[in-house]
Amino acid sequence: MSGVLLLAVPLVPLMLAVFIGLRPGRARLNRLVPWAALPGLALAALAPPGLEATFSSLLMGTHLAVDPTGRAFLGLTAGLWLAAGLFALSDRRDDPRRHRFYVFWLLALAGNLGLILAQDAIAFYLFFSLMSLSAYGLVIHSGKPEAWRAGRIYLILAVIGEVFLFAGLVLAAHAAGQSSLAAVAAARPEGWAQVLLVLGLGIKAGMLPLHFWLPLAHPAAPVPASAVLSGAMIKAGLLGWMRLLPIDAAGHAALGEALVLLGLAAAFLGVAVGVLQVRPKTILAYSSISQMGLMTTGIGLALLLPEARGWLLAAVTLYAVHHGLAKGALFLTAGMQRQWPVARPARAAFALFTLLPALALAGLPFTSGALAKNALKEPLAAEALSGWLAHTEWLLTLAAAGTTVLLLRFLWRWRADLETATDGLDRPRWWAWGGLSLMALLLPLATLLAGPTALPLSVHDLYGSSLLWPVMLGLGLALLAWRGVRDRETPRVPEGDLAVLAEAAWDSVRRTRRRLALPGPWPPRIPARMRALRLGARRRLEAAERMLTRWETIGLLFSAAMLGLYLTLLAG
Amino acid sequence: MDGGWLLLAILFSSLGPGIAIFFLPEHRQGLRTALNLGGAGTKLALVGVLLAGVLRGDEYRFSLPLMPGIDLVLAADALSLLFASLSAVLWFVTTVYAIGYLEGSPRRSRFFGFFSLCVSATVGIALSGNLITFLIFYEILTLATWPLVVHRGTPAALRAGRLYLGYTLTSGLVLFTAIVWLTLLAGAEGFTPGGYLEGLAETHAVTLQVLFVLLMVGFGVKAALVPLHSWLPIAMVAPAPVSALLHAVAVVKAGAFGIIRVVNDVYGAELAIELGLTAGLLVIAAVTIIYGSIQALRTDDLKQRLAFSTVSQVSYIILGVALAGPLGVIGGLVHLVHQGITKITLFFCAGNFAETLGIHRISELDGVGRRMPLTMLAFTAGALGMIGLPPLAGFVTKWHLGLGALEAGMPWILGVLVLSSLLNAAYFLPPVIRGWLGERREPWHEPLQGHAGPTRFETHWMLLFPVVFTAALGLLVGLFAGLGLSPLGWVSLIVQRDYSLPGFGL
Repeated sequence: MSGVLLLAVPLVPLMLAVFIGLRPGRARLNRLVPWAALPGLALAALAPPGLEATFSSLLMGTHLAVDPTGRAFLGLTAGLWLAAGLFALSDRRDDPRRHRFYVFWLLALAGNLGLILAQDAIAFYLFFSLMSLSAYGLVIHSGKPEAWRAGRIYLILAVIGEVFLFAGLVLAAHAAGQSSLAAVAAARPEGWAQVLLVLGLGIKAGMLPLHFWLPLAHPAAPVPASAVLSGAMIKAGLLGWMRLLPIDAAGHAALGEALVLLGLAAAFLGVAVGVLQVRPKTILAYSSISQMGLMTTGIGLALLLPEARGWLLAAVTLYAVHHGLAKGALFLTAGMQRQWPVARPARAAFALFTLLPALALAGLPFTSGALAKNALKEPLAAEALSGWLAHTEWLLTLAAAGTTVLLLRFLWRWRADLETATDGLDRPRWWAWGGLSLMALLLPLATLLAGPTALPLSVHDLYGSSLLWPVMLGLGLALLAWRGVRDRETPRVPEGDLAVLAEAAWDSVRRTRRRLALPGPWPPRIPARMRALRLGARRRLEAAERMLTRWETIGLLFSAAMLGLYLTLLAG
Repeated sequence: MDGGWLLLAILFSSLGPGIAIFFLPEHRQGLRTALNLGGAGTKLALVGVLLAGVLRGDEYRFSLPLMPGIDLVLAADALSLLFASLSAVLWFVTTVYAIGYLEGSPRRSRFFGFFSLCVSATVGIALSGNLITFLIFYEILTLATWPLVVHRGTPAALRAGRLYLGYTLTSGLVLFTAIVWLTLLAGAEGFTPGGYLEGLAETHAVTLQVLFVLLMVGFGVKAALVPLHSWLPIAMVAPAPVSALLHAVAVVKAGAFGIIRVVNDVYGAELAIELGLTAGLLVIAAVTIIYGSIQALRTDDLKQRLAFSTVSQVSYIILGVALAGPLGVIGGLVHLVHQGITKITLFFCAGNFAETLGIHRISELDGVGRRMPLTMLAFTAGALGMIGLPPLAGFVTKWHLGLGALEAGMPWILGVLVLSSLLNAAYFLPPVIRGWLGERREPWHEPLQGHAGPTRFETHWMLLFPVVFTAALGLLVGLFAGLGLSPLGWVSLIVQRDYSLPGFGL
C-alpha cells in the first residue's frame, strides 16, 4: 500500500504526460496538468511518519521514502508546481504549442517529485536526470534565438553535471558497498567522489563559478516555468548535498570552509551583477544565485559545526522552503505586468501580493524570511567559529542589504512595463499568485505552530534589529544609487556573465578551426606552430581512416596472415 | 529426446527454411513469409525450451568427429544461451522488419536465403563447444553476410562488400592460424570456464601471448576494435535490416562473443591477467570507445553516426571482459544484450526515417517527431539508452562497468566512461532535439506513400511494430533489471555459475 502511495507521486504526472503526448487535442486533459502535483502535496501533508517502500525488481533495487527533510521539500515542490501549473493554464491558453510545453512540464514535475522520495543512488540519479533533461524543453519553449542559446548552455552544463553526479555516485557507492543514499553518506565520500558530487549537484544549485547557465535559462523560459525552475528545481542540488555529503561526520573542515566561502561569494556577487541588469526576470535569476549562496553557506556551516548540525540542516530546509515560495511568487509577479487592475481594492491587493514576497526575501520582521534568516544565524551567536569564519554571521546579515537593493531594482524595472488589464482580471492567475504570495505570512505561522522538532523556534525569532538595519541600509544604498547614477537603463554586465566569456573562448576555438580548414596563402605568424600541429593531427586522423580502407593495407595484412599460417604449419 | 538433438533442431530451424527459400520463385511471397516467420518462431520456441532446460541444470551436448582428435561440438551453457536467445529474439523482430522493408523490391529470395544462413551461423557460434567449431561457423557467417551487404548492387555497396570481405577473410586467416597453432599446442579442448591453458603458462608464456594477440586480431575485426574497424562504417550502405543484423544480432556480436570466449573459457581470467593480456585489451577497448565517439561526432549521416557509435559501444563489452572482475564482467556481458536491443532500435528508426520520409542526414530531422511520433519516441529511448540514462538498458551496463573498474582498482576507466558519456550525449542529443523541437516549414517528401499508398499508422506497420517492440524491450530490461530473468539477472547467474574469477567473494 505504501508502495502504491509513493510510486503514485512521480507516476501520476508521467502517465498524464503520456496521455497528453498521445492525444494532444484533448482540452480536458490539459486542465488536469496542475493537479498532477496533488498526490505529492497530499503525501507531504498526510503521510504517516516513516512511510517507505522497497521495490527489489525495479532497476537494481529501488527505495522510496518520506523523511522529515523530504517532507518539507515535497510540500514546497508540489505546492509550487501546483500554483505555477494553475498560472500556466491561463498563461499558455493561446499558445499553439502548449501540449509540448505541458508534456515537458509533467516530465520535469515527475522528476522533481521523484528525486525527493528517492532514497537510493540509482533512483535519485534517474529522477534527477529526468528533471534536468525535461527542463530543457521548458527553457527553449519560446523558440526565440535567445532561448535556444540559453537552452544550449543549460543543456551542456546539465549533461556535465549529470556525468559528474554519475561518477561521484559510482565512486561513493563503491566505497559504501551499497547504493542507498544513507549508506553512501555514512561512508563519507572523500576525495574525487566528494568533489564530483559537490560539482555535479552544485551546477543545479547555481554554485559559483558554475552558475552562469542560470541567469540565461531561468528568464528565457515562460513565466510559470521560470517560477518552478528558480523555486523548486534549483533546490534539487541542495537536497542532493544534504543527502549525500558526509554531514553526519565531523572532520570535513576543508569542504565546509570551501562551501561557506563559495556561498558567501555567490551571495554578494549575485547581488553585484544582478543590480547591473535591466530585465526583471534576469534580476530575479541573479537573486536566486545570491539566495542559493546563503543556503550553501548553511550547508558549509553544518559541516563545520557538528554540534549544531541538526539545527542548521533544519534551518537550511526552512530557508529553502521560504525562498522557493517567495521566489516562485516573484517570478509569477513578473508575469502579472498586464494585470494592473482599475478598482482600488484590487490595486491594494495587487500591491500587497507584489511587495509581500519581496519583503520576505529581504527578511522584513514577521515574514517567512525573518524566521528563516534568524534560524540560520542562531547557532552562530556564540564564538563558535574562528579565523575569518567568525565574520560569517555579520556577512550573512549584510547580504540582506544586498537583497533589498536587488529587489528594489527588480520592482523598479518591472514597474516600467506595467499595463492596465484591459479585458478584465485573469482570476486563475490571481489565485495562484496571491496564494503563493500569502505563504510569506503563513509559512512562519505554520512553522511556529507545527514546526520540526529539530528547530524549536519561538515568536521572538520573528523580529530583531539584525533584520531591520540591513533593509534600511539597502534602502539607503538604493536611494544613493538612484541619485548618483543617471543612465539606469543600460545593462552593465551581459546576462550570464561567465557564459559570455566561455562562448567567446569557444568561438575563437571554432574560428581557428575554420581557418584551419581553408589555410590561406600566408598563415598568421604567432600561433602558427600550434595550428600546424592541430592541422597535422586532423589530417593524420583522416588519413588514418582512409588508409585503413585501402587495398594495399588489407593486402599487406593478408600476406602477413598467409606467412603466419605457413610458419605455423612449418612449426607443427 | 536427447539433449543434443535440441541443439541441432535450433540450428536447422533457420537453416532449413533458409535453403528452401533459395529455391522459391520470386513471386511466392506468401510462402516465403510463412517460411521466414515459421523458422523464426520455431527457433524462438526451441531456444525457450533450451533456456528452461539450462535453468534446470540439464546438460546439452552434440558431438561429431571431424578428424582424429578434433570434434565438431555443440554445447549449451548459460553464456551460449545469452547470445542464442538474444539473436533468436532479435532475428524474429528483424525478419518482420525486413519483410516490411523489402516489400516490392527485387531479389528477395536471395536476400532471405542468406539472411537465414546468417542467423544459423550466429546460433552455431553461440552454441559452439570448442574453438574449431567456433571457427567453422564464424567463417560461414562471414561468407553468408557478404551477399547481404552488397544486396543493392550499387557501386558503393559493392565497394563496401569488397572491403568487408577483405577485412573479414584476412582476419579469418589470422584466426585460422591462431586456432591451428593453439590446437597443436594444447589439443582441441572444449570451452572450459576458467580456461584450459594453465599447464602451458610456465613453458609457453610468450607463445600464449602471441597467440592471444593473433586471436584478438582475428576477432577484433568483427568486433570493430580500432584500428580494425573501418569496414563497419562503410558497410552502413547496406539496407537497414542488414545493418541491424551486422550491428546488433550477428556479426559484430560474433566478434565480441569470440573475445569473451577466449578470455574466459580458453585462457581464463586468471591466466590472462597473469600474462598481462587484459591490460593491453583494456587499453585498446578504451581507445576504441573514445575514438568511435569522436568519429561519430564528426559525421552528419545518421546511419554512419550510428555505425561509429557501434564501434564505441561494442568496446564496452570488451572493456567489461578485460576488467576481469565479477562486476566488470557482468557489465560487459549484459551489454552484449543491451547494446543489441538499443542499437537495433536505432537502426530500425534510421531505416524508417529513410524509407518513409527519405531522411538520411541528421540536419534533415527537424520536426520529424510530429510526423512520426512513435518512431521518434523509440529513437529517443535508444539514444538516451546509449548515453546511459536510467531507467534504460545502457545505464545498467554503465553502472556495473563503473563499479567493476573501481573494483579492479582502475579508476581511470571511470574517466573513460565519463568522457564517453559526454561524447555520446554530444552526438545523440542533437538528433533527438531536432526531431522533437525543430520546426519544419515545407511539407514532407513521402517516398513510401509514393509507391505504396497511404498507410494506416505513421509508416508501414511491419516497419513500425518492430521499432516499438525493441524500444519497449530496451526500457523494460533496464527498468526491471532486478528481476531474475532479466538480462542482468541471467548474467549474474552466469558469473556465479560458470566463471572462476579472481577476487569474487561477495
